Amino acid sequence: MKVFLILVKRNIKLFFKDKGMFFTSLVTPGILLILYATFLGKIYRDSFLSSLPAEFTLSDKIIDGLVGGQLMSSILAVSCVTVAFCSNFLMVQDKVNGTIKDLRMSPVKQSELSFSYYTATFVSTLIICLAATAICLIYIAFAGWYLSTADVILLLLDVFLLVLFGTALSSIINMFLSTQGQLSAVGTIISAGYGFICGAYMPVYTFSEGLRRIIMFLPGTYGTSLIRNHSIGGVLEEIQSQGVNTEIINSIKDSLDCNLYFFENKVDISSMYVILTVCIVVLIIAYILVNSLRNRVQEV
Amino acid sequence: MSSIIEINNLNKSFGDVQAVKDLSFQVREGELFAFLGVNGAGKSTTINIMCGQLKKDNGSVIIDGRDLDKNLISIKRELGVVFQNSVLDSALSVYDNLQSRAALYGILGLEFKNRLSQLAVLLGFEDLLKRTIGKLSGGQRRRIDVARALFHRPKILILDEPTTGLDPQTRRILWDVISDLRKKENMTVFLTTHYMEEATDADFVVILDNGKIAAEGTPLELKNKYTGDYITIYGVSEDKVKKLGYEYEHIRDAFRLSVPDTKSATGLIVNNPELFNDYEITKGKMDDVFLAVTGKKLVGGTEK
Repeated sequence: MKVFLILVKRNIKLFFKDKGMFFTSLVTPGILLILYATFLGKIYRDSFLSSLPAEFTLSDKIIDGLVGGQLMSSILAVSCVTVAFCSNFLMVQDKVNGTIKDLRMSPVKQSELSFSYYTATFVSTLIICLAATAICLIYIAFAGWYLSTADVILLLLDVFLLVLFGTALSSIINMFLSTQGQLSAVGTIISAGYGFICGAYMPVYTFSEGLRRIIMFLPGTYGTSLIRNHSIGGVLEEIQSQGVNTEIINSIKDSLDCNLYFFENKVDISSMYVILTVCIVVLIIAYILVNSLRNRVQEV
Repeated sequence: MSSIIEINNLNKSFGDVQAVKDLSFQVREGELFAFLGVNGAGKSTTINIMCGQLKKDNGSVIIDGRDLDKNLISIKRELGVVFQNSVLDSALSVYDNLQSRAALYGILGLEFKNRLSQLAVLLGFEDLLKRTIGKLSGGQRRRIDVARALFHRPKILILDEPTTGLDPQTRRILWDVISDLRKKENMTVFLTTHYMEEATDADFVVILDNGKIAAEGTPLELKNKYTGDYITIYGVSEDKVKKLGYEYEHIRDAFRLSVPDTKSATGLIVNNPELFNDYEITKGKMDDVFLAVTGKKLVGGTEK
């Protein structure tokens, strides 16, 4: 066990000390912040206000709380996956610079090595995402706090699950990479693309129907929706308590991806948790299976 | 001395390319074994098979009396490898690197600290422990590579071109440490190198060419078999040297004759005592052996 823990420590230290890997992992959340500061914030705000009845007015605090919640959910949904990918690139870098040969030279089991990458990625990503959650919550506290204790606990659970999902997904994909070129390509695709397909930059609701249906097959979408529900659920309740009818609240929820529809069927929150959990378990099992298969092939 | 490595009829192919062809050799315990060959000769493939990094096609590999196929994990404990390029984590400190690598062998806590102090003194890196690997010079990094390979007290140290690119002083330090350990701990050293003078000190040499053994023996045997002797004569005219009938070359203040063997050199001296007032006889070098074996050089006027 101690050997395993020291390997995990090595992997975590390397991620945080390798400035290239660390800062690359923050590119996507960084892009999101810049987009928000330049125009996304305004779009969120205008879109929300246009969905309200013309005679209805809301305080700036509520509007800021809603827009802030939307920003927080987008940042967290993206970070949980992109940070995991970048952190897990250590697995590929060890292959590229030959370190894996040195590690495999030792009597340590291959499965222990693989699991150490998985655990280190999970821990590194969780550290960054929890720090991001804390910063976002502080921001929300200043912008407009409508979160209940349950919302915060569920938000942490969502982050935890999405980090597990990101770690499992990145472990499987990174396992097949072995060159710097492949690593850069995957890094670029994930950094640039994941924010769009998970509905972090723009809600999935705004996409064409065909694309929306495809995206509903991706489990990350449900992770984003869970985080969004728990980030802005409190604000929406507050708005409802001020007299906005349920129909309007539902249309706002639709437009912000709090409500997701799989072929016209509404996916409730508990189903989202089930989908995400099952997906995580399947990915972990696949990772173990592929790993053991590859090890068997490599073994003398 | 018993054999610590026994390789029998080893074969390995990559697609159509047969990298190792029916290779068989033995390494005796405690000896310095030199494994020579140009790039692509099959050295690294053989080493990777020995270390369990590559699957062999057929043949057997016995290390320390154990079959590699059945005892890979326990065999790995007996091997220490210094790779051609440093494979330590350049972003981490020397201490962190050695701690993580020692842990792979179950060396933890006080045992780790004691061994670290020993090796730091032996290889002279006590003042480098907190330094990041990426900021060390090539020579300093090499010392840490050697420390990593020696940490778990392996019975066999595999050195894959360990001194390439190092300055002569660092090469000397490394060789002194390794020689010392060989004597004190009876450690076997399996060396591949491009520096033929390092192979001269070996107890046994195997030269690989195209995946097969092209020559093997002690350095003396190889020199006697594949190279001639050289007689350097001082203070004589070129006309007289020419009359001796051997190939020669002019080197500053002397002439260097190539003769087939020591017996011929003795005959030459006995028959021409007036020419040999100031002279020296030297054996061919391992460079000459290597080039002769791989068929790329004329030695003593004959193509070998």
